[in-house]
Amino acid sequence: MQLPVLNDAPAHAADKKGGCAASSCGTTDNQMDSLPDSIREKVQNHPCYSEDAHHYFARMHVAVAPACNIQCHYCNRKYDCSNESRPGVVSEVLTPDQAVKKTMAVAATIPQMTVLGIAGPGDPLANPERTFETFRRLSEEAPDIKLCVSTNGLALPDSVEELSKHNIDHVTITINCVDPEIGAKIYPWIFWNNKRIKGVKGAKILIEQQQKGLEMLIAKGILVKVNSVMIPGVNDQHLAEVSKVVKSKGAFLHNVMPLIAEAEHGTFYGVMGQRGPTPDELQDLQDSCSGDMNMMRHCRQCRADAVGLLGEDRGDEFTIDKIEEMDIDYQAAMEKRAVIHQAIQAEMDSKRLEKATKAQQHKEEPKLTTRPVLMAVATSGQGVINVHFGHAKEFLIYEASPDGVRFISHRKADQYCGGDTSCGDGESVLQVTVRALAGCEAVLCSKVGYEPWEMLEAAGIAPNGEHAMEPIEEAVMAVYKEMAAAGKLDSTPEAARASA
Amino acid sequence: MAVKIIESCVNCFACEPVCPSKAIYEAKPHFLVDAKKCTECEGDFPVHQCASICPIEGAILDSLGVAFNPPGSLTGIPPEKMAEAMAELQAH
Repeated sequence: MQLPVLNDAPAHAADKKGGCAASSCGTTDNQMDSLPDSIREKVQNHPCYSEDAHHYFARMHVAVAPACNIQCHYCNRKYDCSNESRPGVVSEVLTPDQAVKKTMAVAATIPQMTVLGIAGPGDPLANPERTFETFRRLSEEAPDIKLCVSTNGLALPDSVEELSKHNIDHVTITINCVDPEIGAKIYPWIFWNNKRIKGVKGAKILIEQQQKGLEMLIAKGILVKVNSVMIPGVNDQHLAEVSKVVKSKGAFLHNVMPLIAEAEHGTFYGVMGQRGPTPDELQDLQDSCSGDMNMMRHCRQCRADAVGLLGEDRGDEFTIDKIEEMDIDYQAAMEKRAVIHQAIQAEMDSKRLEKATKAQQHKEEPKLTTRPVLMAVATSGQGVINVHFGHAKEFLIYEASPDGVRFISHRKADQYCGGDTSCGDGESVLQVTVRALAGCEAVLCSKVGYEPWEMLEAAGIAPNGEHAMEPIEEAVMAVYKEMAAAGKLDSTPEAARASA
Repeated sequence: MAVKIIESCVNCFACEPVCPSKAIYEAKPHFLVDAKKCTECEGDFPVHQCASICPIEGAILDSLGVAFNPPGSLTGIPPEKMAEAMAELQAH
């Protein structure tokens, strides 16, 4: 039996036997439906666990955990850049007291923020006092915020008891391998029993601890998501096996992320020229794992101090100086938050229902026999197309096919160029953006300017500004049907699957 | 007889809790070792605890001023490869 991708489908309206609903298609027919009610309830407003929720709800990380007990080849402990967005990077380390203040300030200012995570910049469980002090205080002082933690797993077995006390119902373990030989190519050393242990021996201990910790969490009824970094030539062939193993032990979601490696990061992989996967390679692996496991595709690999909706970072509004000056009435904020959360939930429910109705209609129409198409969408949330092409910091990639529309991934628009007008070899930001959309045959946004319009067309990507403020899946399906009617889907595409 | 933490320390806190003599303390701009308290782990552990968890090559020196973790020993990046990459970046 195939397990669903945890995207969006309504529990009540999805097709129960075969076939596909437009909103939930791909590997599955009825996605969250197959999860037990208890899990569905826990994740429906968690932006990191539910693709649907990530359009509406925000998350934040507090960087209270600087120490680490292992070294990974994709991480550089010296790195601290305010312009960069990737795991392990932060601007300032907080004390638990500062973290609590910051969390309450953000919760009062951004009421959609539902989840507080501790993810580093080191390993949260290698800083047990700082991490648990933060959790203990927040569960008392801000009980309406969900708490979660992300770990490399080495110290996990020793922390499960304490984690369960703090009412943390989500834990993420980064598991890149279940084979110590592969592990030795990813982890140069671990600190274990008062010694630095290198190579295969260290990797073997780490893997054992991760698997033991996973089993203990499941036994306690704590939800476990597994993160894996896809490293071509190192563990890419192995991750399907990892997916099977963690699924069999009870992890409910697997998030395969692409390696981020650039020489300027100073990491082993960056300096040694190890490449990351192409979007196609990542998608193929996610698809091959999805037969065994709920796959997560909307992760933005955020910083250990990120604040806001996935894909945005409002951390600058909440620096230590600024939060010290804020005067927060949390009781009042909590009341306001409850009202807003209820309204968002109602909106999500009605949109799900609408999607399901459309999906039903789609199924009743004669089925197309055309090939699938990738499309890029510019959105800032709420599940609608609402961003100008030139303002988009990222694009969501959807696949439309006769079976319906499914979410595939996100791609960054401004890559590493920041605000510069040129990048590297004189390539403009616009050129970089167009290149990032390789493989897509249409881009849907609220508006497209003249210059990008021409460049997109030249690249074989049809610009489309006709579906502003419309729900994403509906608009993508409408464009797909137009393309089919115009006979554009009969031949092989110029651009499709040619992404670099 | 004491170890020393130097300016390449990134203030990650990892060494502070593993010190058996509570000789390491947070300071600006980086963590420091109280030479009066440091025992170099003698009697407690066969290896220096701070130097065994420190992720930064060259940040902790022994009593003779020699780095416990020389370049390349922790990251696995050959020093010449690192120099090459840095030179490449500088050129841009």
